[in-house]
Amino acid sequence: MKNYRPFWILVIMYIVVVILITCGGGLFLQFLKKQGADFNGIDPTLIPLYDFPDIWQNMTYLGSFCKVILGFIVVISVANEESFRTLRQNIIDGLSKQEFLWSKLLLILGLSVGATILMFLCALLMGSLYSSSGGMQQVFQSMDFIWAYFLILLTYLCFCFWVTLLLPRTGLVIVGLFLYTIIFEPFFALFLENFPYISDFIRPSTAFFPVRSLYNLIPVPFSKFLLREFQEFVSLKETMIVIGWLGVNLFLCRLILHRKDW
Amino acid sequence: MSMGPILETAQLSKSYGRIRALDNLDLSINEGMVFGFLGPNGSGKTTTLALLLQVLRPSSGSFNWFGKPQWDNVRKDIGAILESPCFYPYLSGYQNLMVSARIKEVNLAAIEPVLRTVDLYERRNDPFKTYSLGMKQRLAIASALLANPRVLILDEPTNGLDPQGIVEIRNLIKKIAGTGKTIILASHLLDEVQKVCSHFMVLRQGTKLFQGSVKDALTDQSLIEVAAADMQYLAEILVTYPGVEKVERRDDKLVFKASSMSTAQINHFLIEKKIVVSHLAKKNGNLEEEFLRILAKHE
Ligand SMILES: Nc1ncnc2c1ncn2[C@@H]1O[C@H](COP(=O)(O)OP(=O)(O)OP(=O)(O)O)[C@@H](O)[C@H]1O
Ligand SMILES: [Mg+2]
Repeated sequence: MKNYRPFWILVIMYIVVVILITCGGGLFLQFLKKQGADFNGIDPTLIPLYDFPDIWQNMTYLGSFCKVILGFIVVISVANEESFRTLRQNIIDGLSKQEFLWSKLLLILGLSVGATILMFLCALLMGSLYSSSGGMQQVFQSMDFIWAYFLILLTYLCFCFWVTLLLPRTGLVIVGLFLYTIIFEPFFALFLENFPYISDFIRPSTAFFPVRSLYNLIPVPFSKFLLREFQEFVSLKETMIVIGWLGVNLFLCRLILHRKDW
Repeated sequence: MSMGPILETAQLSKSYGRIRALDNLDLSINEGMVFGFLGPNGSGKTTTLALLLQVLRPSSGSFNWFGKPQWDNVRKDIGAILESPCFYPYLSGYQNLMVSARIKEVNLAAIEPVLRTVDLYERRNDPFKTYSLGMKQRLAIASALLANPRVLILDEPTNGLDPQGIVEIRNLIKKIAGTGKTIILASHLLDEVQKVCSHFMVLRQGTKLFQGSVKDALTDQSLIEVAAADMQYLAEILVTYPGVEKVERRDDKLVFKASSMSTAQINHFLIEKKIVVSHLAKKNGNLEEEFLRILAKHE
């Protein structure tokens, strides 16, 4: 894997996008100001995007949109094993399915840890440069968002893993996953939540969707400035749902792997 | 050399949807055998090997290696190539063998000798995707030899090799067989099986038609040709020799099944009967005739 060029392209792409999103936010707000935009008379540059401790939530919220790139890495790495039929060769050589599962989970874990550290460093850097509020205690408040971020990545990548095992066609899975993650599920969830005539019993079910539940874990932070009232912590219930999905995803990986012929 | 069975299958079957690729195979292979799988295209040779390598899951039936239960991981004791070679295209030959070595838990020092054996040492650092078909096949053979396994499974090992390569691989297989290793070889090159195998079986449409030793099959097929001035009289005399059943005229010679007779015995007999032969030869049979006969018998 480490000699495979597309892998490094995706890794670098991910790093660049995360840095752009985390660091570019301030530039974007200044750009808005120059254009004369204002939110109910508030100067956009005054939005405390990089203030500790809110920065953890703001940055992880933005960063979690990039998880789809990491998803591609997992998809490619698993689908390649099948399309080159090297998995078959490795099984012949004596690799057990269990060992294969672990090797890919290790990759997933590595990517998640790496991305989380990247996010931590970016936020720390931007925070120390731009934060108006200081103090050690404030800096490390709300660190739970970093954990939530890690959990989201882990769960999402396991989700990608079993989807790829099920449909070993790289192009199809990548497009499908992209559309599903970015467009289909959010809209379907919005539809269920807002469309009238849908029973109130079904409506809250969106919280249990595999990708939607991940978005819910880190609540939209910016509404603070518009609504005043918002959730500043990671809710326990949503964490439980995500951990539940992590378990389900892991179980599905195992199940699909064991029932497959090579 | 041959000891107890190293592989036993019982009613082993595999279906792909409606296609029955392997039908109730009962097979036993002893240690030290060089066992050939023969059969037309699509007869289930690769499917059988894939089942034995635990790459496919049987639809029904069972098998065991080395007398161990079926679900044990015995593949580290088996070196195998299955159909076309499968390696990471962007890694070099050497790096690909490193992956195999890591899985088989063998020392990296084992890589160099096998690369030399298959004549790929010079190209070891080039990416796999730049190899020719024959070179890919050679790398696959190298990977099968890597762990110095007890059993070698070779599915069409000379596929794509040049004539010189075919002879080299054939000699290599013979050499390995000489060390007492068990080899299972699937091929539709009958000549190849005849030259290297001690035993063989014939598959067609997933059904085993025949199993036996190559030597017996060849003696079954070997013939003795005789010619003399008076062919009529020669034929009358020959049928009186014990063991000769039917004498046929082929061109200008008489031909009969050799069974266990030698040409010397026949010559001695004819001299006693005061017949001088102008031609006397034993023609060894070949597997091709036997193979076609077996297929025809089961039409
Ligand atoms: N993945 C698959 N899906 C469906 N059918 C298959 C599959 N693989 C093999 N078959 C079928 O199983 C049968 C046996 O195929 P197999 O590859 O074992 O033949 P083979 O004896 O190795 O042939 P060859 O001499 O061409 O290598 C064939 O009828 C084939 O069409
Ligand atoms: Mg085949």
